[in-house]
Amino acid sequence: MPHPFLSTSRRGLLKGLGGLALGAPLFSALRGQAANGQAERVIFFYFPDGVVGPSQNGEASLWHCTGSESNFQLSETLGGLSNHKDRCVFFNGLSMGATDSGSHPGGAKKLLTAADYGNNESIDQYLARTAGWSSPWRHLLLGVQANYNNASGDKHISYPVAGSSLPPQDDPRQAFADIFGSYNHGSVDSGGEAAPSARGKVIGAVKEDLLELRGQLGGVEKDKLDYHVSSLEELENRLGGGGGGGTAASCGDPAIDTSAINDGNLYDAGTFPAILRAQTDLMVLAMECGITRVGTIQCASHTSELLMSRFAGTDFYDPNYDMRSHQASHYGASHNRSSREFSAYLAQRKWWVQQYAYLLDQLASRPEGDGTMLDHSIVVLVTEVCDGNTHLHDNMPFVLAGGASGRIRTGRLLQYSGDRHGNLWVSVGRAMGQDMGYFGDSSSGPLWGLVDG
Amino acid sequence: MTWLLLLSACGISSVPKEESPGTGIGGEELWSCDSTGTHAPRQLRLLNRREYQSTVRDLFGLGTGASCSSDTDCNLETESCTAGRCSADPCGTGTFVLPDAGYGSVHVAGAFNGWPGTVAAGGWAMAYDATGDRWWLKAELGEGSWQYKYVLDESTWIADPTNPNQADDGYGGYNSLLTLSCSGGGLDDIAGLDLTAAFPVESRPQHFAFDNNAAAGLVSATLAEAQLDAAEEVAGLAVLELERLTGCNPSDDSCAEAFIRDFGGRAWRRPLTESQVQRLLDLLLGESDRTEGFSLVIQAVLSSPYFVYRSELGVARGDGSYALDAWEQAAAMSYFYWGTMPDAELFSAAAAGDLADSAGIRSEAERLLADPRARGTLATFAQQWLGVEAVLTTQKSEDFPDEVRKAMLAEVGDFYTHVVLDSSGRLPELYTADYTLANPTLAAWYGLETPGSDGVISNGDRAGILGMGAVAATYAHSDQTAPIRRGLFVREALLCQSLGTPPANAASVPTVDPSATTRERFSQHSSDPFCASCHQYIDEVGFGMERLDTVGQWREEENSFPVDASGNINDIEKLGNRMDHPYQSLPELGELLSASERVNACFSVQVMRYALGWDPEEDPLCAFDPQRQVLLENDLDMRQLLLSVPSSNAFRIRE
Repeated sequence: MPHPFLSTSRRGLLKGLGGLALGAPLFSALRGQAANGQAERVIFFYFPDGVVGPSQNGEASLWHCTGSESNFQLSETLGGLSNHKDRCVFFNGLSMGATDSGSHPGGAKKLLTAADYGNNESIDQYLARTAGWSSPWRHLLLGVQANYNNASGDKHISYPVAGSSLPPQDDPRQAFADIFGSYNHGSVDSGGEAAPSARGKVIGAVKEDLLELRGQLGGVEKDKLDYHVSSLEELENRLGGGGGGGTAASCGDPAIDTSAINDGNLYDAGTFPAILRAQTDLMVLAMECGITRVGTIQCASHTSELLMSRFAGTDFYDPNYDMRSHQASHYGASHNRSSREFSAYLAQRKWWVQQYAYLLDQLASRPEGDGTMLDHSIVVLVTEVCDGNTHLHDNMPFVLAGGASGRIRTGRLLQYSGDRHGNLWVSVGRAMGQDMGYFGDSSSGPLWGLVDG
Repeated sequence: MTWLLLLSACGISSVPKEESPGTGIGGEELWSCDSTGTHAPRQLRLLNRREYQSTVRDLFGLGTGASCSSDTDCNLETESCTAGRCSADPCGTGTFVLPDAGYGSVHVAGAFNGWPGTVAAGGWAMAYDATGDRWWLKAELGEGSWQYKYVLDESTWIADPTNPNQADDGYGGYNSLLTLSCSGGGLDDIAGLDLTAAFPVESRPQHFAFDNNAAAGLVSATLAEAQLDAAEEVAGLAVLELERLTGCNPSDDSCAEAFIRDFGGRAWRRPLTESQVQRLLDLLLGESDRTEGFSLVIQAVLSSPYFVYRSELGVARGDGSYALDAWEQAAAMSYFYWGTMPDAELFSAAAAGDLADSAGIRSEAERLLADPRARGTLATFAQQWLGVEAVLTTQKSEDFPDEVRKAMLAEVGDFYTHVVLDSSGRLPELYTADYTLANPTLAAWYGLETPGSDGVISNGDRAGILGMGAVAATYAHSDQTAPIRRGLFVREALLCQSLGTPPANAASVPTVDPSATTRERFSQHSSDPFCASCHQYIDEVGFGMERLDTVGQWREEENSFPVDASGNINDIEKLGNRMDHPYQSLPELGELLSASERVNACFSVQVMRYALGWDPEEDPLCAFDPQRQVLLENDLDMRQLLLSVPSSNAFRIRE
């Protein structure tokens, strides 16, 4: 059965969003909101369990590119990015540091926080409350089976406060309803004046309580309460500002395809590709409509039991043999192409790159300003370790795509020698218009040579 | 390679401390502590989804609220027993009751199930209630007019003699007619709302098994909006029956104020301050429409930090520490035992100062644990402690029906609750019981006898929780058992032993091979000295469960080879002791665990983690050693440990 918001309520949604766009004082210019020379948006795209990096026996990485800054070859794993090669920046030699190197959870904690043990806010959350503060949704945190089997907190990569992560929203139907359905709280619903002001009054009363409580605590639980206040202010923004001001036709009639997804198969491995596609489409739609500037898509989680061998239509599809992501990642000491684990692992990693490429395709196919959405975006591909067998935190296999509204010259291979990945997050933050000096416990400034100006 | 090297490769110090901390099973040396005891931090604890749902239900619960263990303990026509308490049925619930007249069986047949003549054909079997000498059934029919008949002994069809509403059955007789309407709605419908469907799942930090971790309980914008939506939905129903809700004339200002004091006080689990009353009153009276004013107040109260967080901040004692005040103590107790807000009696005890000393706390603790409402919370604790909620979603190669998965999860909760409340209450019984509690579906899946009405059956050689299907299936891969995951489950969940992270270049799970047993395929772990440094502690424990396959069924053979379920659970009390404890079967493994000091200590740790929503920085075995002492002094009676928690220093005194 199709989701109600995608079928019967379509008309209501259309009306809601169209009307909101008309009376949107705060966000009417959101799609052009970023100051000149700033990236409009950033997306962090995570997949689990690393890549085929340098092997234990010393064979060269099948992920990292070779060549000079401007004249280089895509690696075997990254072949799926050939259409976007000149819109990407590739990295060699970025490090997450020695702490917990060799560990999946240790890497996942450091990944977006740039701090050992996840003892920092993550970069996506930081940008949500800075660059994204005035967006209707400061942050869109979408998952794909990221909470499978009650995944514990170290498996999630987004940290609103130091030491505590947030579970992503794994159900694109619910996420879609949250974003495009609840917008009826705005002033355009046929109910007139009462409905929106009621929600606003309730939030006002709750904020008073929060400030009273925080005042009594003298610093105890300050982070928790500050974050709570910030969440309510985000909701107030939505009420006050209404719609995202997106002008694309799709914003007036928002839809994503969730026809293959139901309550019973949300955590079936075979449904994973359809969910990922829906979440990716939703992220692009929300950004196209100016609803958010900061997004995170978390595919599964580290040490994943995800049965990728059940992905129909892939070249690693094997209904008769169960191959999990993490199982494949322990492929052995060498790149042995006759090994079942190795060949599956390499093919899986190519598939993740293709999913990232699909996200880039979507952004590149939508005009924006003098170019495309991709030209004004930053899209970062990340995972929590380098080679899936050695689990080292050096030479991290990250890719950055998008021109950041001209702040980042793409089509380059950048070489570093152990520069910390916190510097990359500083550079991303600067391209998003934030005056950042450092980020996390290890960065020393922006990543040399990445962002212009 | 020496043992010392092997151990250090696994990150385990094998150098004993000078002072001997005593001995445990087989004379094994125990772990040592520099100091024991701890205090939880001052903290705010976000209501998790189950607590939120139960709390709202109880806040508006206008059923009799009586304690119950079955629907028949309640006013059967209008109430159900939910989480140990009688609460009003949601609209759309059909209740069928027939006085007995010596029938062997009765079932309900109607338009809703296709008029079946037998239970096998889909008839809804009614249950016999000996106390009321009646047959009964409740079913979610939904809104509409429903025709039905009773079928006695699968042969005689009769109309419901207690129902005057009838319709022609087309055969010269009458069908009974039940009309259910959900229009209008009101307070009674609140209990039936699924309020938390849009709430994000709880985040559980690494090594913290429970859904109530205080530090991880954060209100994101997504959660804040879902809370506001839930409050709006509740308020929308509540204001339909304002006179019933307030018990006074809602257009009187004094009625509004009285409501704010009463409702607000119960929702925030403490009396409101005068300024809080005034703020809410201003909000209410500020609306020209009185109903809207009440609606706003209900929404504001339910979305407030004073509602969504439980305060465990305490009052300064003058020595740098803080003690929970009476209201905090009452709430901390009700959520620990019941997973919901205090009832009127517990609020009264707090108001009367009865919770100021250990004796008063003890007396309330005994009442709360004896109440049927404690059962659901005990079951949840066990399911989370053992990590087996994943049995509902874990992917398998074999067919693994949802009803079996659910029955397995229920088994863990039912068995634990049974041992604690209905049996010896002793911890060892969890590992040595030769029985379990299963529904007929699960018993058939296990190949065991069909259980009687109490669900208790002999479990073969499944040895308490160790052989439960939920444990076996959760800690297995899709296509093969996982001795490593099972061994780690015992070490981490049952013994609180941490083996650190696996080495970076650890080999993958051995390839499935039909010409060998799983055990043989894992032999590299013991033949390679590097692997053996850790896996000596893991595989030989997991092998004990090898007779349980990936979906929790018993097997004597694997790939036509006999299964070898012998093993060795070395160093039970402390890794690095280098003491062997061999066993030949799962029950023998259970016996070893049941005799271990470490098991007692680890259970105490898990209970305290759950109670406090917190894990200490220091070794939890030492921090919660006072709780282990309670077990030791009381013949390992878990009830005595559970009763001691609310008066413990760790619980009452905060730093």
